[in-house]
Amino acid sequence: MSVNPVVSELVASAAARTNALAAPPSRLKEALSDLAGGVSRNWIWTRLAYQDIKERYRGSVLGPFWVTLTNLVMIASMGIIYSELFHAEISTYVPYIMAGILTWQFISGMINEGCATFTNAHDVIQQVPMPFSVQAYRVIYRNLIVLAHSAVIIPIGLLLFRVPVDWHLVELIPALIFLSVNGLWMAVLLGAISTRFRDIPPIVNNVVQVLFFLTPIFWPIDAVQSLKAVLVLNPFFAWIDVVRAPLLGVLPEPTSWPILIGSTLGGSLISFLFFVRFRERIAYWI
Amino acid sequence: MPSIHLRDVCVDFPIYQAGARSLKKMLIAGTTHGNLARDAHDRVMVRALHDITMDVDNSDRIGLIGANGAGKTTLLKVLAGIYKPTQGRIHISGHTTALINSSVGLNQDATGRENIILRGLYMDIHPRDMRERIEQVAEFTELGSYLDMPVRTYSAGMMVRLAFAVSTCIRPEILILDEWLSAGDAHFLAKAQRRMEEFVTRSSILVLASHAFELIEEWCTRAVYLKNGLIEAIGPVDEVIDRYKESVSTND
Repeated sequence: MSVNPVVSELVASAAARTNALAAPPSRLKEALSDLAGGVSRNWIWTRLAYQDIKERYRGSVLGPFWVTLTNLVMIASMGIIYSELFHAEISTYVPYIMAGILTWQFISGMINEGCATFTNAHDVIQQVPMPFSVQAYRVIYRNLIVLAHSAVIIPIGLLLFRVPVDWHLVELIPALIFLSVNGLWMAVLLGAISTRFRDIPPIVNNVVQVLFFLTPIFWPIDAVQSLKAVLVLNPFFAWIDVVRAPLLGVLPEPTSWPILIGSTLGGSLISFLFFVRFRERIAYWI
Repeated sequence: MPSIHLRDVCVDFPIYQAGARSLKKMLIAGTTHGNLARDAHDRVMVRALHDITMDVDNSDRIGLIGANGAGKTTLLKVLAGIYKPTQGRIHISGHTTALINSSVGLNQDATGRENIILRGLYMDIHPRDMRERIEQVAEFTELGSYLDMPVRTYSAGMMVRLAFAVSTCIRPEILILDEWLSAGDAHFLAKAQRRMEEFVTRSSILVLASHAFELIEEWCTRAVYLKNGLIEAIGPVDEVIDRYKESVSTND
């Protein structure tokens, strides 16, 4: 085979400038700049999340308020039947399931959609350089938009049943912030694992569905006094309790805030370490 | 000053066959062989790029040629920062815009105008800045009243126009284009080339992968011939194209 003059000339020139390149930034640094770059691009993910919602309801008259209407019908019918079943006062039971179900939908939405954080954005990830964290922030923000739509029935319910709410309502702000961060680490971790193992989303989906029945949402925790000490340790109970209690004018269980803060910090650490290690593989797995 | 430097860059793709991708298989492998790591090493790897070393400097316009599966798109994705090399080092300075696929970020049900804003997001352009440029973009596409129609009514060539107009409206320092550009008609290509020349004179880099030699000859100053993930030739456009043609004919 003859030596190609073009190749030899350029190989020689490349050899002449074999100035070694500086080592690339560490994985830790890259992961941090990914997360920070995502935050500074908040105008991208807020817009994308908004677009997602618009897409979901394109052509429908009620749009995202369909969720609100569906919840209204469900809560009203459950309220009538289950308050009989549990011998609960309807005026306390309806606000209870309303606050519980709406919070549950917010949390489970972040988890279930979190599994698809990266797989749903596969075309973008494969074509355009963009921080991966943008996709995770997008999932959380999208669920906050849905929550904002479904939450319009809350003040109506509280007024209708004259729930004695007080200044404890301000606890909703830190509660929602912690729940969002809590959702964020799950979206990153579950989203990344789901790109590699496609069985994860249905597994998570099943677990979440079962947890709906095991967590005191439509049944009051006091109905099972003997198990209460165990039930309050369920993180899903704690996550819901911090939002539901102030809405009902009662104090959350003493275990709820520690569990929420603990799961947020602990989960964020695990998720962050995973992200540092596998961030650059996501584009290959997807 | 924008520049791109690659040193011995390799890209390996793990192939997860239908079963190998599942958690079950990995867990079962773990219990039956007692070794998860072995499964990881047993998996099939495809080497898409092999020891790529190249330097692209300011104002270079590089044409990438090679048969299907030679690694052109993979190399573009490495240059765009989408794939991190599995081995070797890469250093890119300059703001990069990649157009690997003309339909990315396009929402089929949204109108052309909405999509200009949307695609701008993926190019890191704030909607506020995009709205200022929307008329200029609209004019370049020559799509007229089609811009108020959903994108699903567009032809491939029309989508290419829209994508190209948005992507070049801010003059990226490094522009990476895959072969989809050839979907445009002659009139559009001439227009695109004028815009390209305009921005290359302002010290930018273009990397274009294409099977259309005329396009490469017309647009590029250097060419790279990829074969099975290796650089077969790199240098002046006509010489590299000759070398490619020669290699194809001897293989026949």
